[in-house]
Amino acid sequence: MKTITTSTDAAIATSTQAGSFLTRNVQKMVLPNGLTVLTKQLHDKPVVATMVWYRVGSRNEELGQTGKSHFLEHMLFKGTDRYKKGEIDLVTHLNGGANNAFTWLDFTAYYFTFASDRWQSALEIEASRMRDTTFADEEFASEKQVVEEELRIGLDGPWEALENEVWATAFRQHSYHWPTVGWLEDLEAASGAEMKAYYDKWYHPGNAILVIVGNFETAEAVARVEELFGNIPAGPPTSPLRVVEPAQRGEKRLTVKKATPVERLFIGYHAPAVGEPDSYALKVVETLLATGKSSRLYQRLVEKDKSVTKADASYHDHIDPSLFYLQAELQPGFELRNVEGAIYEEIERLKRSEVSSAEMEKVKRQFEASLVIGSEEPLQQAMLLGQYETIAVSEHIPEDSRGFRYLDTLLDRINAVGIQDIARVAQKYLTDSNRTVGYLIDDVEQERDRAA
Amino acid sequence: MQHSQQRASLPKLDVERFELPNGLVVLLSENHSIPSVSINAIVRTGSRYEIDDKAGLASLAGELLDAGTTSRTSQEIAETVEETGGHLATFGDYQSSGVVLTLLSKDLSLGLDVSSDLLMNSTFPEEKVAQRIDRRVAQIKARLDVPRTQASDVFNEIVFKGTPMHRPAIGYDDTVKKLTREDVETFYRCQYAPNNSILAIAGDIDKQAVKNRIADGFAEWNRSGQFGTTLVSQAQRQTTPIEKFVTVHKEQVNIIIGHVGITRGNPDYYSLLVMDTILGSSPGFTSRIPRILRDEQGLAYSTYSNITASAGLDPGRFIAFIGTAPENLSRAISGLRKEITRIVEEPVTAAELDIAKSYLTGSFVFRFQRNSQIAEFLIEAEVYGLGFDFLEKYPELIRSTTIDDITRVTRKYIDPKTLTTVVVGPVDVIEH
Repeated sequence: MKTITTSTDAAIATSTQAGSFLTRNVQKMVLPNGLTVLTKQLHDKPVVATMVWYRVGSRNEELGQTGKSHFLEHMLFKGTDRYKKGEIDLVTHLNGGANNAFTWLDFTAYYFTFASDRWQSALEIEASRMRDTTFADEEFASEKQVVEEELRIGLDGPWEALENEVWATAFRQHSYHWPTVGWLEDLEAASGAEMKAYYDKWYHPGNAILVIVGNFETAEAVARVEELFGNIPAGPPTSPLRVVEPAQRGEKRLTVKKATPVERLFIGYHAPAVGEPDSYALKVVETLLATGKSSRLYQRLVEKDKSVTKADASYHDHIDPSLFYLQAELQPGFELRNVEGAIYEEIERLKRSEVSSAEMEKVKRQFEASLVIGSEEPLQQAMLLGQYETIAVSEHIPEDSRGFRYLDTLLDRINAVGIQDIARVAQKYLTDSNRTVGYLIDDVEQERDRAA
Repeated sequence: MQHSQQRASLPKLDVERFELPNGLVVLLSENHSIPSVSINAIVRTGSRYEIDDKAGLASLAGELLDAGTTSRTSQEIAETVEETGGHLATFGDYQSSGVVLTLLSKDLSLGLDVSSDLLMNSTFPEEKVAQRIDRRVAQIKARLDVPRTQASDVFNEIVFKGTPMHRPAIGYDDTVKKLTREDVETFYRCQYAPNNSILAIAGDIDKQAVKNRIADGFAEWNRSGQFGTTLVSQAQRQTTPIEKFVTVHKEQVNIIIGHVGITRGNPDYYSLLVMDTILGSSPGFTSRIPRILRDEQGLAYSTYSNITASAGLDPGRFIAFIGTAPENLSRAISGLRKEITRIVEEPVTAAELDIAKSYLTGSFVFRFQRNSQIAEFLIEAEVYGLGFDFLEKYPELIRSTTIDDITRVTRKYIDPKTLTTVVVGPVDVIEH
């Protein structure tokens, strides 16, 4: 990264440079057992981030068994043949490191950060728990309670309640229908044996990506990786999952009632998968609508109409087509339908190409700067490399943008988006028939019943 | 199990400190890891210096800093920064207020220009004040949707009664509605002064070049003698236990147990930091409360304790928190109380002490990974007089802690007999 510039006044980061600073010096290798290994030396900070990504998330689950991927993530901290219960955290702690994990629709990922003089404990732990996690019955039972409490935190959150309902309504056939944490009833019914079978199905070198970013020497690191992971059997092949959501033919609307002093709005549009040509223009739309106080939704809803306390747009990269969604939290005294209408007016402006070239330039700079500033830490870089190596795998993605190479071309493709592309994707995706609209309103009846 | 006793290399911050003639303290730290800079322009004021009738004033003033200046509208301020890809936030919390900017380093001059403009020339247009007050009132309502926040607010009202800490910085519905443009303007004129402020810049800068730009940009900011005259009353620890149950219809009960804590300047801060790591503040589930209540008993997803996390100019709070299903309420409360009592009454083990020290010294490096973290550290070091050689001193401050120190400080600063217990959740439907 140092080679980009060291001068305060130099023009930094033409798109190509900024695009490739993330991938510069990344080395990729695949062990004979199928484990993909990405390494990137960064010597300006005395730390190393180590991640393992598994290509399994709630997308891979089945009805009646939802939430398994996330539950499994919890079990991977409970001990292995080599590390007794509590020892994974203890080793992390003794070495002044940090560890955590997260599960989402398409993946489950684990990470450690350590000072660079002691980072290899991360490799030892990950190698051990890839196949040798123990599933003691008593551990399973107590961790099930922990996961249920995590799920209850979500049930208490107004946004989570509304978001879950919109996704469940927008996707009726595809497994993006259920939230990653699963349905509480499925979780309550889960058994240790089912969890072990799920682990045996998905946790193998061939379904995993190891990412190491930071202050280490590649040859030494690779030798240690081969030593620790090389003997793990390849495991059964995993066939690519084919789940398809049929096109939506008409608007869907829903209401969630919950005791709340503030009403909320959530609008989801079906939108393309990671790496599809139109996805880049929609990323520009996302930034244009909602990044910063000069953004369209802030200026319209917060500043002009004064009808919301906050408004946001989000569009995340996923393996399969997902949702481009808009959220607003209402100022008391304003009507949900009016705020909804104002949002549609802003979308219509995009369809009419009412975007200035100065605004396009601003949005592209915001996109680029957030990528640079958001990659200061080795862990942040490991997150990006691992995420795209895991999800940008479809055959529809051009080869020069597949896997972590997605980051090579990302900024070029963003910069190639024109005003007419904005209008085109708005006309194609942000339409009445393609949307699911959710309202969260106060549950007055429930409160009255309780009071009675 | 082995762990490294080596000292992880810490970054060299190479801090330069100087004061402008008007009293503004400037702190610079240069590194070229990535082409970006963080600017933290902080005024040493906040809700600590407001009165109960004006609760929310400092926070509102901080938020309104970007609502317009003598030369720019709010929209122009946003566009000026965002056109570069930069990010601007303005704020007012308990003891600090101001401007935080992250920019690509080529835009540093613009960042300094915007920072000085906001601190010196904000105009607080009437319409924007009214609009932000309306938004604040809605945000205060929305806090009731977050039971953990609600529990925290209720706890503070009890434990910090009679001091500025009892108020939420955002204020109350009835006080915020009554705030006026004149209130904001007066607060800004009195409190926002260069001799009450610190400018910290970290990242890809050339220190010498930056110095001149700072001198130019902030030279016309005039000294003031009107701030900091308020005598802040300090919270006293209560003498009897207090219990407060608040009914809200949620899935979980949120429980906070604790009492008044310590200041950041307390000489026992470092021993208590080690104690925190043993009792309830480790990452993962190594420390006692998460290990026993979460990992062993499965009572919660989130449970922890701390006393140092809230230490500031005034005493913060010692708290233990847990969020759990209503049927676990009594087990959760007795579990937390048991661990609080145990750490006061029984010495910690040598192994626990050793693990905590290893963690604190080994993880220190992670506090200096981002420019924004470095800028925040510079401010903290200045406010509390830590010294810019704090990075070198810190490991020894931790390593010198003994088992006897832990016993002494827990007995001195934690009293299991006078705890306040706050429970927020569906408490009307459970027996207690």
